[in-house]
Amino acid sequence: MTATNTLARNLGRLSLFLGKRVLALLVTITIGVYLTIWIANMGGKVDEIRELQIRTSVAQEVRNNPANNDLPPNERNQLIQERVQNEIQRLGLDEPFIYRSGDYLARAMSLRLGRAQNMSSDAGSRQVYAIIGERLPATLLLFGTANLIVFFLAVGAALRLSRRYGSRLDRTVIGLAPSSAAPGWFYGIFLILIFAFIWPMLPAGGMVRVPPPDNDWAYALSVAKHMVLPVAAMVVSQIFIAIYSWRTFFLIHSSEDYVEMARAKGLPERLIERRYILRPTLLPIVTNFLLMLIGLWSGAIILEQVFNWPGLGTLLFQAIGQRDTPVIIGGVVIFAYLLAVTVFLLDILYAILDPRVRGGPK
Amino acid sequence: MSQKRSYQAEVVIRCLTGLLITAALAAETVMAAKDASERQGALVDRVVFTTQPNAGKGVGQIEAGRLDILAQGITKPVIERQIRRAKGVEAALSYGTTADLTLNPAGPELDNGTLNPFGVRAIREALNWLIDRQHIADAVYGGLAQPRYLPLSTAFPDYARFAAKARSLELAYGYQPKRAERVITREMQALGAERQDGVWHHDDEPIELKFLIRSEDTRKQVGDYIANRLEAVGFQVRRMYRTSDQASPLWQGSPPKAGKWHLYTGGWIAPSISRDEAGNFAFYYTPKGLSLPLWQAYEPGDELATIAERLQRREYDSIAERGELMRRGLERAMHGSQRIWLVDQLNLWPRASDISLASDLAGGIAGSALWPYTLRREGEVGGEVVVGTPKLLINPWNPIDGGNWIYDTMIQTATFDRAVLPDPYTGLYHPQRVVSATVTVTEGAPVQKTLDWLALERQDEIQVPADAWLSWDAESGAFVTVGDEYPDGLTARTRTRIRFKDGYLDRTWHDGAPMGVADVVFPWILNFARADKASPLFDASHVPGHKTYTKHFRGWRIVGRDPLVVEVYSDQIFPDAETIAARRMPGLLPWHVIGLGVRAEANGELAFSQDKADREDVPWLSQIAGPSLKRLDKHRAQARNSGFIPFESTLADLVPEGTVEERYAALADWRDRTGHYWVGDGPFQIAAVHPVAGTLTLARNEAFDDPSDKWLRFSEAQIPEPAVDGPVTVTLGDGAAFEIAITAGGEPYPHEAVAAVEYLLFNGAGELTASGPIERIDGEWRVELSSDQIQALNAGANRLEVIVRSNRVALPRFASHVFASVPAEQEAAE
Repeated sequence: MTATNTLARNLGRLSLFLGKRVLALLVTITIGVYLTIWIANMGGKVDEIRELQIRTSVAQEVRNNPANNDLPPNERNQLIQERVQNEIQRLGLDEPFIYRSGDYLARAMSLRLGRAQNMSSDAGSRQVYAIIGERLPATLLLFGTANLIVFFLAVGAALRLSRRYGSRLDRTVIGLAPSSAAPGWFYGIFLILIFAFIWPMLPAGGMVRVPPPDNDWAYALSVAKHMVLPVAAMVVSQIFIAIYSWRTFFLIHSSEDYVEMARAKGLPERLIERRYILRPTLLPIVTNFLLMLIGLWSGAIILEQVFNWPGLGTLLFQAIGQRDTPVIIGGVVIFAYLLAVTVFLLDILYAILDPRVRGGPK
Repeated sequence: MSQKRSYQAEVVIRCLTGLLITAALAAETVMAAKDASERQGALVDRVVFTTQPNAGKGVGQIEAGRLDILAQGITKPVIERQIRRAKGVEAALSYGTTADLTLNPAGPELDNGTLNPFGVRAIREALNWLIDRQHIADAVYGGLAQPRYLPLSTAFPDYARFAAKARSLELAYGYQPKRAERVITREMQALGAERQDGVWHHDDEPIELKFLIRSEDTRKQVGDYIANRLEAVGFQVRRMYRTSDQASPLWQGSPPKAGKWHLYTGGWIAPSISRDEAGNFAFYYTPKGLSLPLWQAYEPGDELATIAERLQRREYDSIAERGELMRRGLERAMHGSQRIWLVDQLNLWPRASDISLASDLAGGIAGSALWPYTLRREGEVGGEVVVGTPKLLINPWNPIDGGNWIYDTMIQTATFDRAVLPDPYTGLYHPQRVVSATVTVTEGAPVQKTLDWLALERQDEIQVPADAWLSWDAESGAFVTVGDEYPDGLTARTRTRIRFKDGYLDRTWHDGAPMGVADVVFPWILNFARADKASPLFDASHVPGHKTYTKHFRGWRIVGRDPLVVEVYSDQIFPDAETIAARRMPGLLPWHVIGLGVRAEANGELAFSQDKADREDVPWLSQIAGPSLKRLDKHRAQARNSGFIPFESTLADLVPEGTVEERYAALADWRDRTGHYWVGDGPFQIAAVHPVAGTLTLARNEAFDDPSDKWLRFSEAQIPEPAVDGPVTVTLGDGAAFEIAITAGGEPYPHEAVAAVEYLLFNGAGELTASGPIERIDGEWRVELSSDQIQALNAGANRLEVIVRSNRVALPRFASHVFASVPAEQEAAE
């Protein structure tokens, strides 16, 4: 009876905790998305800019079209006006921004991403889902490969270095850690210069050979070849700081009393590593891993630009340049939801594994 | 001794090897030339397009042999230097971009009580003398620009036509900083301003100029230079570095009287050669240009306003009268100086040295209509060429109302053949599928012709035949003839009779389907159906353009089918008969392909235009990729089963029996082979599309029956290079003769290609004292100045300017010779 009561009480607490977390996450997403809508449209100021851009570009088009050459000025201006009005209506700019922002928010929160205003997917679709979905695999492939390499290499190397604290290799890695201050694209430029132009052994950019091979294996091999430089750039820029931080993390944990006790008991190093260091640190490692996976979604705008990689980063860059609000919001809202779901899953994991979290502050 | 022998042997071997290589190369070239003349269609087998948004990287790739052409106009001096240094990289030039200084002409007193110096005409005019355009072109643009003073592009035909006037105005408005300061000082004092500590003050407050400087490109440095010049004459300048988005609400959106800005570094683009720039006066100097607040503040004065309107509406009776209006318009435009023209920018289009193709003088490689017909690798026939473009497949492709980004249209150009093709260096149209045309205009219409393939006739009145088609009625599904609509008859200002080549419609489309007269009539019906509310194809965004079309369209008819001869009636005229003929060419589209789109749009599944697609929340029709393809597949199957002919009530009579099934079978096969529905008749067809990877491959259309070398004469622009030679001193009272040599690439320029050579004679004060045409005497171009003309110069340093206009390129070329005129006694003493 007491056990049942405890279980019921614990479940109740867990539900309350999770309910509060869901609510908090929803509020956070709503605020985040609305802020994005507001910022992407500069509080409605973008409407004014776009209207002027429409007016100017339509006027130029009408002027450059020889068919309109000898139109009397009033008829020409009427033609421009009609076309401008069409475009304003198409983009919904005839509605006040405040109403539209509410509409954007409602659609975004219900994941109805709708149509892009100016952009199309490479295949020609105007649906935001299709536009984002088309670029997602390229980003996941590139950033997934690089980040997985960095993650597993860093954790593995850090564990080894934490055992060889103060060795020459350890000191070298610590010495190289500041190299991560430079972003991946920075190294990318040098790598392109060296391996694509000075010793041209790898492609300077793009995702696949031009023209793409017809054979699937040859295609995959070509993609892999095109990934070498961007992956290398990301690995070089992240690996040393990652090793350094994981090594410090493991070092702290490996000097805990219970680890020292295990060592004093004469347990083998591998067992100590696995059972006494890795197991208690699993939660932060999993958290870090999951957040890294979510981070893949967003891509890296500049790196993709440098390597001409057709991913989400490039897409968002174009969307911002073209002020295509639905695409910008689409990118942000999917990322926000994925992040929220991950955080929520981690909350559940923490609550199950760590009673202090489940119980909340006393 | 033996060393000497071995050395001699080595020399002999080297010489023999050299000879063999030379012979092999020569043989290869001869073979290639022979192959080119014997081959049909494109000179290369495949053209692969890929994205390369980074110009520097693109040039590097050309140098490394991974790219052959970068279809991107480059204006940055740093890339220009890279091109110059790179081995095996050359560049074509285009002139479509212009930089100007846009002025706020409101005031001089603004709403906020401050003074706007540019509200004063004389101060605006003085800016011409304050700014050294040559410095901007040379130092700021690194030579990638040409000084521009007038509202005429220095690369287009109108500038060449009025070169003499232009040159004299350029000299009158050249860099004269002291004169500028003098005028500005006079005018500022007249406004009640005074210069305190070198800075102009009004009501004891310094006069601050708000200068919007575009920060994304070279205009930033241009803005800084001009700001320095303004500070040098006493103005305090607030440099407001802004991007396009940040600047446009200020200079375009705010009322000029509000005084939120005074100057702006503007820029304009001309996508193709404009053979008639007469409309520039109305656009750039009068409120009729745009309905934006800045334009509404323009006060051109009665004379310029009248000239601008007459030129825009072509209200003149002859070419000579147009010339007078243009010359006077140029004078008045410079006098009012509502804006200060700075430079015509040069765009570089990089390519590998062994690649040649026709590049448009305005649109560059991407804007050239002839690139597919002229692209080749030197000494080679066939093979592959790789082209990089900043973007690819930007919007859905359909020939009715698909995306029109220049990088996509460049590719589309290769897939559709055109009845006439524009000369990339003059903008005049040449026949491609046409044998001849006769353009008839009403008496007094200011139209001229240049090329021999057409005839220009004049008639008092042009009656449109009663059986000519005037429109198409969606409700009844029938043509409306001129007789139906105008029982009392209808007249037109022009009639264009076009005679197509024999077998024009006996060709096949890329998918192998036979062409037919229905392919000529179909696009015209579709044009009307999309503007007709009774049609399921009605598209509100199509209506404004269609209204303009119907305003001048007066009917057309098919006079003969074999060969195809059509007559088109219109009220619209252009100064060149070639342009009139080109504008009247009926379109040609495969009805069995576009018809699937017609079915899908009528069914509410797809839409040809972006506007309609967005309004109806359906995909914008793309014939090359994406969600459209499956819907088109469905309609193809249905169309094939039912023997569907679009606009059947009208077109069924024009479609030969048995060809419907043949067309759909060919299309099904095409879709299976290529994976798309882009079917044209050009020298290339789309072989593969990889949208996400950003590549597209064009393959040579083997059925294209034109000789491969048909357009090769347009591969290089033949720009004349004049040079003047003559005495450096001339005695007053004596005559003098000057020789003019005209060459191109070191070779004498063909005489038949020279349209005109003129001279301008300026005295030491920079005043024009004589001008006139130069005649060719005994095969030589020679200016002979009479003793009176020399006497009129007075003593001093004079300049003889020579202007050469060519039939082969719109760009006029100048040469000058400075000589001293000295009194007879001085000459004797020396």
